[in-house]
Amino acid sequence: MKSPSATLSLPRFRLHLRPIRMAEVGFLVFLAVVMGLPLLFLLSGSFNLAAPGKPAVYGFGNWQRAFTDPGTLSALWMSFLLSVVRLIPAMILSVMFAWLIARTDMPGGRFIESACWIAYFVPDFPLVLAWILLLDPNFGFLNSLAKSLPFVEGPIFNPYGFLGIVWVHTSTGGIWFKVMLLVPVFRRLGATLEEAARVAGANTTAMLWRITLPVLSPMILAVAVLSFIRGLQSFNTELLLGTPVGIYVYSTKIYDYLQREPRAYGEATALGSVFLFVLAILLFFYWRYLSGNKKFTVVTGQGYSTLRVKLGRWRYAALAGCLLYVAVMMLLPLAFLVIGSFMRRYGFFNIASPFTLNHWYNLLADPIFLVALKNSLIIASVTAIGGILLYSALAYLLVSRRTITAPVLESLCWVPHVLPGILLSLGVLWLFLATPLRFFLYGTVWGIAFALILADSPVTTQAFKAGLLQLGADLEESARVSGASWAYAYRRILLPLLAPIAAAVGLMNFGSALTSISTPVLLYSHQSRPLAILLLEYSFTGELERAAALGLLITLIIGSMMLIARKLGLQLSRSD
Amino acid sequence: MKRVIMFMYMLVGFSTAWAQTKASDKEWAAVVDAAKKEGKVVVAGSPDPVMRNDVIPKFTARFGIPVEFVAGRSSQIVSRVQTERGSGIYSIDIYLAGPDTSANELYNDKLIDPLKPLIVMPEVADGSKWKTGKVWFADPQEQFIARAFSGVATWLFINTDHVKPEEVRHVKDLLNPKWRGKISTEDPTTTGAGANMAARLYYQVGEEYVKNLYVDQKTVRTRERRQMTDWLARGTQPICLNCREDDVRPLVKEGFKILEIFEISGVPSTINGSPWMLSLANKAPHPKAAQVFANWILSKEGLETYARGYGSATLRTDIDESFLNPGNVPKKGVKYFDDTEWKWIVTGRHENRDKVWQLLKAR
Repeated sequence: MKSPSATLSLPRFRLHLRPIRMAEVGFLVFLAVVMGLPLLFLLSGSFNLAAPGKPAVYGFGNWQRAFTDPGTLSALWMSFLLSVVRLIPAMILSVMFAWLIARTDMPGGRFIESACWIAYFVPDFPLVLAWILLLDPNFGFLNSLAKSLPFVEGPIFNPYGFLGIVWVHTSTGGIWFKVMLLVPVFRRLGATLEEAARVAGANTTAMLWRITLPVLSPMILAVAVLSFIRGLQSFNTELLLGTPVGIYVYSTKIYDYLQREPRAYGEATALGSVFLFVLAILLFFYWRYLSGNKKFTVVTGQGYSTLRVKLGRWRYAALAGCLLYVAVMMLLPLAFLVIGSFMRRYGFFNIASPFTLNHWYNLLADPIFLVALKNSLIIASVTAIGGILLYSALAYLLVSRRTITAPVLESLCWVPHVLPGILLSLGVLWLFLATPLRFFLYGTVWGIAFALILADSPVTTQAFKAGLLQLGADLEESARVSGASWAYAYRRILLPLLAPIAAAVGLMNFGSALTSISTPVLLYSHQSRPLAILLLEYSFTGELERAAALGLLITLIIGSMMLIARKLGLQLSRSD
Repeated sequence: MKRVIMFMYMLVGFSTAWAQTKASDKEWAAVVDAAKKEGKVVVAGSPDPVMRNDVIPKFTARFGIPVEFVAGRSSQIVSRVQTERGSGIYSIDIYLAGPDTSANELYNDKLIDPLKPLIVMPEVADGSKWKTGKVWFADPQEQFIARAFSGVATWLFINTDHVKPEEVRHVKDLLNPKWRGKISTEDPTTTGAGANMAARLYYQVGEEYVKNLYVDQKTVRTRERRQMTDWLARGTQPICLNCREDDVRPLVKEGFKILEIFEISGVPSTINGSPWMLSLANKAPHPKAAQVFANWILSKEGLETYARGYGSATLRTDIDESFLNPGNVPKKGVKYFDDTEWKWIVTGRHENRDKVWQLLKAR
């Protein structure tokens, strides 16, 4: 005799297999074309030794040149060290922040979360300059303050060097991105497990260590992998703070090849392949860790409680700690950035009448500005919505365990994260031009949005995947037993539960689309130039103050979107 | 009788010249009419406030032809163009590119067409308007790449609050231990102005000098030009090898005591074709509009607009140069090292730059 569950599951299998398989094949083809083809173009190009425009000659010369270049290996080691050293404290802090915001009764969580969002989207270049103004051993504001102390002789801060780079990274990108991704999944964690631990006599630390972190580990690990690879690719801060003291990182080497004339994309791709290798290793361990059954389910159909952990008198101490961190790491340099946008010359307080409104006036009066603003808003909106629709469905497929190509699909999703932005842009450019896509995507805002959606795939898919891993299959099954169709159950059960994650990644992708430079740089045209490219042009021509004003304006737009999202009910910081 | 014949000759000559002028005026007018019908011109170049704020509005006001300016790093623009062409797309009309890109990529990769036959605007075609007696084409065939500027390059900038001009009169003065850690340069280990200067020094002064200057003197490197200019103004690194004149000018206006030094003993002074060289894309989508733009940018109005904004000496004879730093204008009778000379760009600079990279990267 068949068990009731088997009787129920058989028709579901029959009903679901065909659409799931069709979706799987559809995604496989789509991702193979849009992610795999550009990668293939780049890899095959890296073996082409002929000059651009000349008939191809294949060989290993580019790879050999790239890896025997003096300094390549030491730069790789430096990138690795920097990435590890800043990842460990940043992960610990981010998990603490996310836990305090989402799982405890710490007051002011909404403010702290909003601050993380705003901090993430402040442009990093002027922010690094702000840190230089604060910490420079010769003229830094904090060193000048410190010198007034009786026991201080020389400068005590110095941003130029290894520790300076780690410190500034913690401010510019450090924990903000991680907190943004972790808070929604922390919030989704039902309190039932924590309450059970409490009843069993566990204190808060044991509960956090034995219950909360293990069940949320898929997202924590995904964020760690994303951050580690992002750390390896980072080079803006290192250019400003490392080059003067002879610290070169791996991405600087790639950047050098990309700027060379004639261009050396072959060598750049060869060096970039190291990221693929690192990713393959990390993904192997990540998949092994995730293999298992229902390990991470925290939302089931058997009751759901979101009671928060009571911190008692420590709640104010926790708030004070968070506020101090936000004040030092975000508000202090941000204040300098805001002031800088109103200064005749950024950071020069000793010139006659140092303040002016000219940079803001010049920005708003720039005839390109309004067109670029409109383009950016279209691109960002399409990117945010497109990313949510595409990757929530893909994540559902990956988590459903009914696909036979999940590792391939997931690997393809990670491709954009391991390609330096300009190489991704080049790959997409090849894709557009080699296919009929060029007739309606090349040079348009839609084409840029398409490329940005591709670039967002690792973060968005992992965020949805982690969210879906938290949901028990019984939620969907009980709806199906009650007669709901798959689409109805998906719309009424899964999507509302995923809404906080969708809102978070949607806003994140919206913000990234507004600030991304490397992805659209080869794809925009005169008509589709976005704000980020305008910002690049200002920076390139040394108009730093106008760039700072534009950067702040972009941050304001993202802040406004966050408020609108809240008004519309996509609450980011309040659990139901 | 002789006088009558002379008079007749002059009359014929004058009439011919007048007739030619009328003919070229007509030809120019026809080109402008055709250009207007094409609707726009697409110009690729470095992001440049002078281009965006002054040159494009003036051109559009003059001819009613909108300019689409594709701004970006040369390497990115050329990548894009190469990829587009692989798919049969031709989107660019005009390139305003640096010497390296113009010679080693646009010309070498055959992305450009001869421009010389299209120079028809009377005041541009008129050789007397040019210091070189004609429009200077820098390429070996003298057809493709027009050079419109030739100014004396800045050797270095000093902050006179910290460095007296007499302390850096000779190239070897920079090796004075007093300046250890006090000199800034654009990173010479990557493509750019820093590497170009190091290559020139390697060629002109020698390997030992380059080692002494960049390694032993602990010359501070950066890839961010704004950082160098700020160091110069604050006196942190009061000697700057690769600061840009257009970056420094606002600081001088603010009262910072910054001196631009064009000549220094021990090395020849240098001239270059900065900020750009002009070329015409082949299979340009708007050939007539491209022709109008190319002619106009070489005209008095076009070049003067650019020169005033950028602060660089042009090759035209009819542009008032009083707005320039006198040191920027080449002096007659002085033998300069031409940093934009074809052979140097195509081979000499690369060979010497590679040697510099070997020397510096090994350390």
